[in-house]
Amino acid sequence: MTRRRADRASLGSALLWLGPALLLIGGVVVLPAVELVRASLSRFSITGLRLGDAGTRNYTAVLQHPMLGTVVLNTVIWVVAVVALTVVISLGVAQFLTKDFWGRTVVRWAVIVPWAASLVITAKTFVMIYDYYYGTLNLLLGAVGLGPVDFLGSDAWIMASMVLVGVFVSIPFTSYVFVAGLNATPVEVYEAARVDGAGPFQTWWRITLPLLRPALLVAVVLNIINVFNSFPIIYVLNDRNPGFGHDTTITFMYKLAFKSAEKDVGMSAAAGVFNVLLILVVVVVYLRFTRWREESA
Amino acid sequence: MVRAHRSLALTAAIASVAALGLTACSGGAGSSSAGGGAGDGSGKKVTRIKLVAAEYSKDHTAAFWKQFAEKYKQKTGIDLDVQVVSWDTIDQTSSTMLQNNNAPDILNLNAYASYAKDGLLYNGDEVLPASAKSDILDAFDKSGTYNGKLYGFPDLSSARAFFYNKALFSKAGIAAPPKTWSELEADAKRISALGDGSIGYALPLGPEESQGEFSMWLFNNNGSWKKDGKWTINSPENVKTLSFLKKLTDEKVTQNNPGKTNRADAFNLFASGKVGMVVGFSPLAAQLDKAGTVQYGVAPMPTQASEPQTFGVTDYLMAFKKPGNQEAVKAFYDLYYQKDQVNQFIKAEGFLPVTRSGLDFFKDDAKLKVYLDTLPNAHLTPTDDPTWDKVKLAVQQNLGAAVSPGGDPQKVLDTLQEQAGNGS
Repeated sequence: MTRRRADRASLGSALLWLGPALLLIGGVVVLPAVELVRASLSRFSITGLRLGDAGTRNYTAVLQHPMLGTVVLNTVIWVVAVVALTVVISLGVAQFLTKDFWGRTVVRWAVIVPWAASLVITAKTFVMIYDYYYGTLNLLLGAVGLGPVDFLGSDAWIMASMVLVGVFVSIPFTSYVFVAGLNATPVEVYEAARVDGAGPFQTWWRITLPLLRPALLVAVVLNIINVFNSFPIIYVLNDRNPGFGHDTTITFMYKLAFKSAEKDVGMSAAAGVFNVLLILVVVVVYLRFTRWREESA
Repeated sequence: MVRAHRSLALTAAIASVAALGLTACSGGAGSSSAGGGAGDGSGKKVTRIKLVAAEYSKDHTAAFWKQFAEKYKQKTGIDLDVQVVSWDTIDQTSSTMLQNNNAPDILNLNAYASYAKDGLLYNGDEVLPASAKSDILDAFDKSGTYNGKLYGFPDLSSARAFFYNKALFSKAGIAAPPKTWSELEADAKRISALGDGSIGYALPLGPEESQGEFSMWLFNNNGSWKKDGKWTINSPENVKTLSFLKKLTDEKVTQNNPGKTNRADAFNLFASGKVGMVVGFSPLAAQLDKAGTVQYGVAPMPTQASEPQTFGVTDYLMAFKKPGNQEAVKAFYDLYYQKDQVNQFIKAEGFLPVTRSGLDFFKDDAKLKVYLDTLPNAHLTPTDDPTWDKVKLAVQQNLGAAVSPGGDPQKVLDTLQEQAGNGS
């Protein structure tokens, strides 16, 4: 009897515990996804009014968009550059943060700040730094006799300017993942390495880096997703550039819906579906690739 | 027993989740069919309507609508929910609301024709008191009329004028503001030659508002966006106009990169005292007066036409057909177009009137004289054509390319003309 009662209670309480999460997943993940697909299959007026079914017209419109190639290339450059630079710099920052030095707590807090600040605010701050006429960066360049650089308007500079901000805001999280990874590596291994006469570089290459592999994997995957989906930095810094010349797939999707001559919610939704598929494929491929490396090692 | 109970509970759980999912779906499923109820006034009357208003300024917009809502409630007993939205996001807000079949009763925007085309709006005969309709200035009545009926009810207006920096003018030895384009070009060169970061003419052709800047120029070269029902974007006059702007850019008498400069940036440059000339409007004057650092003059636009032309802009308050809201909407307009309401709003925001009685209300304001004189004859963009709503966006996203290095005004305007032709 008692056992039965326990069974029933556990089921009820399981539902009680799981219910909110299920509702949340349903409301925040499943429902919007369903709506996105529905919207992508619909024909919309410029006002946002649904006019009827579109079939696959929105998808072909996205695929045939004259700027799609540029936008995809921008996205690849953006994601690869930001993630690669972030990981490399964060490895150094993490090494530094795990060292014992005076004022380490303050430095650790300082590293978190860019993470805690709103991305839009950070982006607007960088607009002020980069501005051609008033930007602090150009004031500094002017002081040492270098002409002003149009960081946000020049086709040659804008991507690099955006990547720098992207790296700046990605470093905190990534560094802390590496700090956690470094703290988890056993001290004995290093002692053994020292006894065996390994130099600092050899120790890092042969011991630290391999032991950091799980942390690296997490950091890279999360950063790829995060950076790929990053909207505010590109939207704010690229604000004065007309057209799609420096957009990634995320801002492309937004402009299709609200800012460009297309102004088509359905087409934007189709671009959104492509975005989700793209990031899924990238992450799966990355995970496969790293597992293959693990097995062959 | 246990098994039965378990499956029962599980079924119940699945059913409830499914049900929740379904209700949520039907809640968000406005997209399933065209919105816009009958709006014939029959059936239940609403006791609450919603206004989505554009934010003209942080200081005044919300405050005005708050007192308006109180008066409206007092007069009609109907609640007015006000949502003030920034210009950056109002397109997105309104589009999302319509997508979810959740249109506001009244929407304040710079476009209306597409909404009228979709059959979503009340026209003037249905909701505008006759006294208010006859008070609206002809130019705005015309621009608010789609298919022979007034759908876009103007809330306020602005007109552009030519601003010049008196200190820079006297430093460069220029006695009076330029009257023709060649005078403007010569003056711009002299100001740029002053060095020290001086800029002759600030030319914003970036995505924010390039259609406005270009309008001011093309109207002063006898050009137009649309004439006798046909798009004239790539007319010879307009190509000449854009080529002239490219010439100014190439001669480096403008600020850096005009094709990627937004209006706000150009105004800020003028307010910093570096710029000799810019096309501004009354809110810029208010900004300059408040800062008090730049000695500026306001003059008619230098022109190639027989006399200076001005470009006017008006925004609209449009009303969505929803069951039972017609009376409430009518009462809204009745109150809004009362002389003290509409003009109090316009005065606080620093814009220009949209009614005949408004012209009278502001006539003693010396600062506004230069705008008010030209307002009744102002040229407007073809907001009465739903195609313009897309053409405007295409212009914003493409015009700047014409003045960038290697840009081709003819080609850019040809493309825009083609897009406009396809859009209708």
